[in-house]
Amino acid sequence: MGRIKGLVLLFPALALFASVSLSGCGETYPKEKVNESVVKICKDEYNVDVKVESVGKTMAIYLPLEDLMDFTFSINKDASEKINDVILSVARVVLSTDADFNYYCVIAHDVRIPEIQIVIIKSVEDVKRLLLNDISRGEYSKRVLIDLRLNPQSQKERSVRDVFSKMSLDEKWQEQMMNDFFRAEPTGLGDIGYWGGKFYIKDVTKPEFLAEQMASRIKMDFKEAKALADAFTLKAAKGSYVASPEGNKYFKLEVLAEPKWFKDTTMSEASDKLFRAVLEIAGVVAHSYGFDDFGYVEIVDQAGVKTIRVPKDDLEKLRTRKIKYEDLPAMAQA
Amino acid sequence: MSSFLLIELLVYIILAVTAGIMLLFSPKIRMYARMRATPIIVGIVIYVLIRLAIMGLMSLESFYRKLTIATMPVQLLMVSLNAIIFVYMYMIFMKGGFSKLSSKTQIRGELVNVKWSDVIGMENVKAEAKEVVELIKDRARVKKIGGKILRGILMMGPPGCGKTYLAKAIATETGLPFISMSGSEFVEIFVGVGAARVRALFKKARELAYGNGGCIVFIDELDAIARKRVFSVFGGTEETNSTQNQLLAEMDGLQEKEDKTGEAKPEMNVIVIGATNAPEDTLDRAMLRPGRFDRKLYIDLPNLDDREKLFAFYLGKLKYDPSIDFARLARKSVYKSPADIENIVKEAALISTRDKRDMITLGDISEAMERIDLGLKHKLNMPLSEKKMTAYHEAGHLMALYLLHPTRDVFKASIIPRRGTLGVVHSQPTAEFHSANKEMLMADIKSKLAGYVAEKIGFNTTSSGVSEDFKQAMNIAHNMVWMLGMGGNNYLGDYTAIPPAQLSEKLKEDLNEETGKIFQSCLKSVEELLTKERPILDRFAKELIEKEELDYDEIDAIFKEYGKFGSMDAEKDRWRK
Repeated sequence: MGRIKGLVLLFPALALFASVSLSGCGETYPKEKVNESVVKICKDEYNVDVKVESVGKTMAIYLPLEDLMDFTFSINKDASEKINDVILSVARVVLSTDADFNYYCVIAHDVRIPEIQIVIIKSVEDVKRLLLNDISRGEYSKRVLIDLRLNPQSQKERSVRDVFSKMSLDEKWQEQMMNDFFRAEPTGLGDIGYWGGKFYIKDVTKPEFLAEQMASRIKMDFKEAKALADAFTLKAAKGSYVASPEGNKYFKLEVLAEPKWFKDTTMSEASDKLFRAVLEIAGVVAHSYGFDDFGYVEIVDQAGVKTIRVPKDDLEKLRTRKIKYEDLPAMAQA
Repeated sequence: MSSFLLIELLVYIILAVTAGIMLLFSPKIRMYARMRATPIIVGIVIYVLIRLAIMGLMSLESFYRKLTIATMPVQLLMVSLNAIIFVYMYMIFMKGGFSKLSSKTQIRGELVNVKWSDVIGMENVKAEAKEVVELIKDRARVKKIGGKILRGILMMGPPGCGKTYLAKAIATETGLPFISMSGSEFVEIFVGVGAARVRALFKKARELAYGNGGCIVFIDELDAIARKRVFSVFGGTEETNSTQNQLLAEMDGLQEKEDKTGEAKPEMNVIVIGATNAPEDTLDRAMLRPGRFDRKLYIDLPNLDDREKLFAFYLGKLKYDPSIDFARLARKSVYKSPADIENIVKEAALISTRDKRDMITLGDISEAMERIDLGLKHKLNMPLSEKKMTAYHEAGHLMALYLLHPTRDVFKASIIPRRGTLGVVHSQPTAEFHSANKEMLMADIKSKLAGYVAEKIGFNTTSSGVSEDFKQAMNIAHNMVWMLGMGGNNYLGDYTAIPPAQLSEKLKEDLNEETGKIFQSCLKSVEELLTKERPILDRFAKELIEKEELDYDEIDAIFKEYGKFGSMDAEKDRWRK
């Protein structure tokens, strides 16, 4: 009786142990098959064909679409849903794999006009924090880099091919020359894209992602925040992270925003308003990612032709309202 | 993964078939399964739940699986915390305490300090209780002569008649520790808590009995756990059932152990005294059988002598006017329990203190009785015409009660509003009557109708104040005819026992006609009386309008003035005897 009882109890225990050990500990998408996994999910679950390539800790997904946008450049609803499906598929894979990914970017273009591409870059950490309710959906949407751009490589190749045709080079030579001299890996996030059956991607680093995000938030705030939208017409905003050979590391934010109601305000006042807004954005971004590998933030007001540099500590004090913009040391203003 | 599941499923099927075959052919395994059916079923259910949970987790992608697993401990903690908070709050707010017994429930017998002499009246019951005490004290002698040791005493009777007091006296006289609990303390929403408390109670009682040679467990409001058990498939009353079962088992256990050893062990000397206001037939029969509550003591309301003694006892503790006649107070307090009498004396003491007197007077006691019986007076702005109508109405009641009722004494008439009435005539039975005859019921109807008649005589019109009187009078007349066979035409029997549909219309008409006849004859009798004694009616109405209240002495004086004082005394004496 005791032996039977033991056997009866042994099997369920073994079954539980086996099921836990067989399935409970492994990752769903092993790193050896991570790219294929994305392709498979997109095909099986959404019937979307994608191409995937990884470099370092960044995964890039190319999504060709028909009727991505109309003549007004607004994105088609179906295409938008497909992009979302692909983003969700990639998120599932990068979250449940043993491969180490920090960023992923989805490059979508309309097959009729491949030169115009939508590039979406997301941080895996941000996705996790959203799922854990550590950040709000609104904050999350501010952290996503979305850019509708003319593919830089396509621009370059078109110009070069014009030259080649003037030189009457044959097709084979043209390709050879193009590969040898005019096709290079991207150096910034702005160069990321897909052209001519080739990914132009780079491993996204945190500082450049943050710099781009600061620029993206500047664009968003100057468009959506009433006080800023009423005061300025934003023409351009560019963010970069500079690490000079001398060892200086800083964020450089170049903003071209033309002040409205110029009669009522002086150029200097407009510049101060712009700097205040940009400093606030920079402070929030650096703080929310806990990033401190920089000495200062340099802001260039291209309209007012004025530049300021605010040290990291002062940036944090500004954010926490321990000092006011007016209290910044004069030397910080270059 | 799927192959693993298939193998697992196959093994389960093999196990189930093997188990089925073994159950079918091996009585030993069948017995084993029967004996452990609950743990086996619970074990299988838990296993299936765990297996399903694992399968559910397996179907999740690793990130979501980790997320779910990571939140599990917190969820478990939160659920446990919620459960603990809920149970704790419930216990705090609902004054429970799980199975733990409060130390306040245990009192040493000698500290109770209620002596036989403190138990007033109820001589018969006291004699029985004394006998019980002797039996408890001298168990060896009882055993020697082959007598059955008492296990339980059940005290029954109306509330406030001294059941708890008597139990305390028993505890004092025996000198045994006394554990007092209320039946409601065993009733909980948590299944098993009541039974656990019973176990804890008897465990404590046995421990005390071991050290003190015996212990008395007093369970007040026993009906809370001793009501007839309900055996429902839904288990709605299982908690009360299980508590009662445990009480029965504990009381049986005491008996059995004693029988086996032959010699009573001290820890077995636990006597359970139960007290209840509920009628005997509402209690579970198992509770009442010998071996549980062997002795039943019926504690009734005190009689005239007892009430006199009770007034003397409670007033004896305070300073009072020596001219107070206890016999008169006793007559005035028919159907009052000892607790009521204690309350009257306490209320009288408060009134006397409020009025800055250093002793209780008869007036204080009368006011206390009125406050308790009639309610507090409240001011109401009444037009003089309404006041006059009320005065006539109450004067009518007063005269009918005084001059026609053979079993009631009038103590007060008032036109001061109380408890929603504009006036009242306070009367009391002359003795403890436990039934009513035709004459008494007719007198009741007459006294109810007298208000209406007086209004009609005085003002040639009547008011809405008669509605309640009519209702009561009609109800009495109806019951006399339909239930008590007191109508004419030989309509004997209780016609309310027959469904109305089975009674012929003719019969109903006849019975209602009889009811009407009683009603009319009473009305006529009252009309004759009040018309004849119109001067007395007018006088009482006038006095009431002027003084608003007339006391016993003032009422007597007016009747004396008209030569009517004591006109019903002979009749009343006849009934009293």
